[in-house]
Amino acid sequence: MSTQDKVTINKLPTGVPGLDEIVGGGLPEFSFNIIAGAPGSGKTTLAHQFVFANASLERPALYFTVLGESAIKMLRYQQQYTFFDPAKLPGSIRFINLSQVVLEKDLGAVLEEITKEVEKANPSVVVVDSFRTMVRKPNSDMDLQSFIQRLALFLASWQATTFLIGEYAEDELRDNPIFTVADGLFWLRQTAERNSIVRKLQIIKMRGQDSVPGLHTFRITDAGVQAFSRTFGLTARKRNPPSNRRLCFGIPELDKMLDGGVREGDSVLIAGSSGTGKSVLATQFIAEGISHGEPGIVAVFEERPEAYAERATSLGLDLETPQKDGKLTILYLRPLDLSVDETMQSILDAVENIGAKRLVIDSLAGFEMALSPGFRADFRESLYRMIFALTGIGVTILSTVEVDESFTEFPFSTYSISFLCDDILRLRYVSIDGQLRKIMVVIKMRGGNHAKDIREYEITSTGVVILGKRLTEYQGLISGIPVHSNGSDTTERL
Amino acid sequence: MKAASEMRDLANRLIAYEGGAGNGSEPMGSPTLRVYEKLRQSLGEFVGVAGFQSLATRALTLARPEAPSLSAALVTADGALKGLGKTENRFDNGSDLAGEGGVILIARLLGLLRIFIGEALTLSLLRNAWPGEVFDDRNSENGRKA
Repeated sequence: MSTQDKVTINKLPTGVPGLDEIVGGGLPEFSFNIIAGAPGSGKTTLAHQFVFANASLERPALYFTVLGESAIKMLRYQQQYTFFDPAKLPGSIRFINLSQVVLEKDLGAVLEEITKEVEKANPSVVVVDSFRTMVRKPNSDMDLQSFIQRLALFLASWQATTFLIGEYAEDELRDNPIFTVADGLFWLRQTAERNSIVRKLQIIKMRGQDSVPGLHTFRITDAGVQAFSRTFGLTARKRNPPSNRRLCFGIPELDKMLDGGVREGDSVLIAGSSGTGKSVLATQFIAEGISHGEPGIVAVFEERPEAYAERATSLGLDLETPQKDGKLTILYLRPLDLSVDETMQSILDAVENIGAKRLVIDSLAGFEMALSPGFRADFRESLYRMIFALTGIGVTILSTVEVDESFTEFPFSTYSISFLCDDILRLRYVSIDGQLRKIMVVIKMRGGNHAKDIREYEITSTGVVILGKRLTEYQGLISGIPVHSNGSDTTERL
Repeated sequence: MKAASEMRDLANRLIAYEGGAGNGSEPMGSPTLRVYEKLRQSLGEFVGVAGFQSLATRALTLARPEAPSLSAALVTADGALKGLGKTENRFDNGSDLAGEGGVILIARLLGLLRIFIGEALTLSLLRNAWPGEVFDDRNSENGRKA
């Protein structure tokens, strides 16, 4: 069968930001779907978003409420969400209460009532919330599986896209004949991990199209459910070809050490202990990009954007004007229970909004602390996905990471993430001639002939300044306690 | 606490509309009862019989202290309103006291809806049961937008 002979399945917008990408481009028209999950997991809100996104006067939505949350309270709470448009009620969206029929009659009568309303309204969308309450109804002439089977058949014939909502626990998923009838099965989870709540959704089944597998984070805000795909919505985008263009820091000696700058689309790690100037370097990197017309994003976790911009001003770098001009966005990402995927979405949105070419994450330690404990366990894996996705679209990422200063080791980071980085710049303190001075060295630079020199630097009123030539007269500099080449100890004797 | 003046105004307009459109010889000839029945039908669809019955009973409880004429009125299990027809006929014959009871009851019912689902949604639902002219500002007693 050729492509043109195949039926085209229209995809309907889910009305849930991020979910269209997860389900494979939208919800298949006329599909019969089940949203399952524990109470409070967001099932009703998700269904409402779909209803409000698709209902029209010509093809309305019928929302059948059964036992459970009363319709009046449902409307009271749901209208708090920004997607709720009261003008759509009751013309485009009709709520129909079936509790009386369920209580007084059997499932056959429920099916009859739904059939009557559907034939009368010719809806494009039908929701039954919650069909699970009908399962518990004893002495019904019709079993639930038969009811679901007939309902699915009828609603598909009437060209309605359907959602059945039900409270289910994880262990009820297996061998449940009801789920075999469904074309789409959405599973919403809400788990408590230490002091945090983590919400995740999974498309267990989606007939006719490729959904993104795995668990996806979602959040419920005043805008309703927002989903964050594990692929960050970038599956449809091509990766940029590798670039040989170099991006400078605007610090001539450092740029020389980097063989002209870091390669565009690289992931750069600046590692060093507190006070070594990681943030200063990151700020100079962003400011230099802006001065060359390259918009930038700074994601900060440890200080507020105003403080970040003020510190830049003290170095003679203006971050206020580019923010006003739309060339720079400073993201302050520090809500509790953050997931990497949510952070990524914020960063991606900002990248898209201003066409950012440079991104600073300051710092990875702050980033990790902002995450829910449950997400911290997957921090490396999440970082990998994030870096891969962003560098793939040509964004150059500079991350800072604090490392514990040790005089016996020379670690690059506490996260064992150096394999994720194309370039690593290590900053550290050394004890020389009774002073605590600073040195930097390029540890790694993929595809570049970087300098091997260990250079001393200072943080001045204009930022990082590299001093003199490489430190040839000392040995053991990276230990932090070097020895002068003439054999004398460099530390001050009391 | 009295029924809010906007809700009384709205109730008056709905009753006045039904008074003009209705036929007093029909079983549901009372304008107040016709308004009540329309509300029962349209609200009952989405809140269910039990849901409407609860709301109406609450509205009646709130309205009684303001309108002694409602003392005989009651809401049955299926949400129907009983014991109002007689006083309504008196209203039709010019008794202000009885008519005011009907207005207060409807105003209380509308007020409850507004409390629970807000003004915008309440009006959306009412507009589905009554023509737009009923909600026209020019028909408002106090000139406020309904």
